[in-house]
Amino acid sequence: MQKLELHEVSAGYGVEEVIHRISLKIIEPSIYVVLGPNGAGKTTLFRTICGILKPFSGQAKWDGVDLFNSKEARRRIAYLSHLNALPEEMTVFNALKYYADIEGGDVEHVLDLLSLSELRDRKFSSLSQGQKKRVSVGKILLRERDLYLLDEPTSNVDPKISKEIRDILIKLSKDKFVLYSSHNLYEAREIGTYLILIKDGELKFFDKIENVKTRQYRVGIKTLNDVSKLLPESKFENGYYVVTADSPREVAKIVNHLVQGGAELVELRELDNPLQEFFEE
Amino acid sequence: MSFWQVTMRRSVRLSRTYFILGVAMSVYGTILSNILSFIPANSANSASTPIDLMNSFPILSVAILSLSALLFSLPVVMLFVYDKNNGVLEYLLSTGLDQLGIFKGYVKASLSLATYLLVFSNIFNTAIGIYLGTSLSLLTSMAVLTFAIGISEVFLVTISMMAFSSLQKTPMGANQPLGVIIGIIPMFPALVLPLVFPSHAIVIDISIAVVTLLVSLALLLSISRLILREKLLP
Repeated sequence: MQKLELHEVSAGYGVEEVIHRISLKIIEPSIYVVLGPNGAGKTTLFRTICGILKPFSGQAKWDGVDLFNSKEARRRIAYLSHLNALPEEMTVFNALKYYADIEGGDVEHVLDLLSLSELRDRKFSSLSQGQKKRVSVGKILLRERDLYLLDEPTSNVDPKISKEIRDILIKLSKDKFVLYSSHNLYEAREIGTYLILIKDGELKFFDKIENVKTRQYRVGIKTLNDVSKLLPESKFENGYYVVTADSPREVAKIVNHLVQGGAELVELRELDNPLQEFFEE
Repeated sequence: MSFWQVTMRRSVRLSRTYFILGVAMSVYGTILSNILSFIPANSANSASTPIDLMNSFPILSVAILSLSALLFSLPVVMLFVYDKNNGVLEYLLSTGLDQLGIFKGYVKASLSLATYLLVFSNIFNTAIGIYLGTSLSLLTSMAVLTFAIGISEVFLVTISMMAFSSLQKTPMGANQPLGVIIGIIPMFPALVLPLVFPSHAIVIDISIAVVTLLVSLALLLSISRLILREKLLP
């Protein structure tokens, strides 16, 4: 079975160690959201996995093969950095062909897949940020890989393109491994199956997102009628009765209590993302 | 089309000014090398003449023709810095290429451009020389020397400039000129020594070119040890 395995990996730049003794094993094709604040070591982790950085200690392996020393293993991995990494002076077609000539791949297929055909003869430098990002994503789809590393692929792009990119990744993740770094907690919950939390260069959490436990939930309740007597502990903020609960089960109890008390519920929304806690700790 | 060929074409598109200047300089070198045809026959041997014009003009033009090749190939190094800052080199590393593979691509592109210009300038120089009645043996010597000095100099400058721009901490490529300074150092003895020992001019210059080529080749082959992959990151 194919798998990514990191064993006690420490890595960085020059003599500065950025990630410290990270160990994890990824064996199930899925989307793994790599979350962490700025400077946490997400990019360093990706650069180590794709074999650009040599670990100071430990080993990063794909299918049991050391990633730094094996070109073949590295060819199974696609890495999208936060830069577009495409020759700006070329047309979209030629920019993609530039990489296709080096590593193989089908440019026409990518143009179709990402609906880039109408941009094929446009100079890359003349594209909008969102269009550039789509072309940039296109280069990692030129040929099939097993593991996709994407460093904040939806930063600086509008919601429509973000969704397009996420949809492609969701499709890919059916039989491929996708590691996706993001600052966006809501995006992380929406797209990810697994959460890898990196903080101060250390692995703080690695499990299914559904297993993320939170200390408390803040829920906003919008109703058509006044329910202040039904919810004496709540605060009324921006049209919402805000209540704090210890668990989703307690939220269900509150809703039930409101309905039985005659409240006409319009909206129920989670005000804080449970992943927020990881940043606050 | 291979990586180095694409790199060469991209370099040509990056800045046409360098190519125009390179061609203009090679024309200038050709004019200078053939100007001796217009010098009165006794001038070269005149006791009042401080230098041997018959020997010094061709040697000067070898330097100019070699520099024109360098100028012609400089955009390749600019492209290297541009690709480094733009994340292209990082992506190439992630596809499985290593430092040596990347450096080889840019060096090949640079040497190919230099070769094109040197072929052009030597054909041009020889044609003009034959037309003006310049000695055929002198023209052949010049062609050999221009190639030897030009190619070795371009090789050393290219590899030095790329190495310096990779090793510097700020990503602006501001250390590139150091590569030019190092690269043209071998040109000074190649220019001066033949004037001092005119009968051994070709042997001296070929020897300097061979040493420069060997040093450049050694640098290229050691690049994976000298420059870590992380040095090619933006």
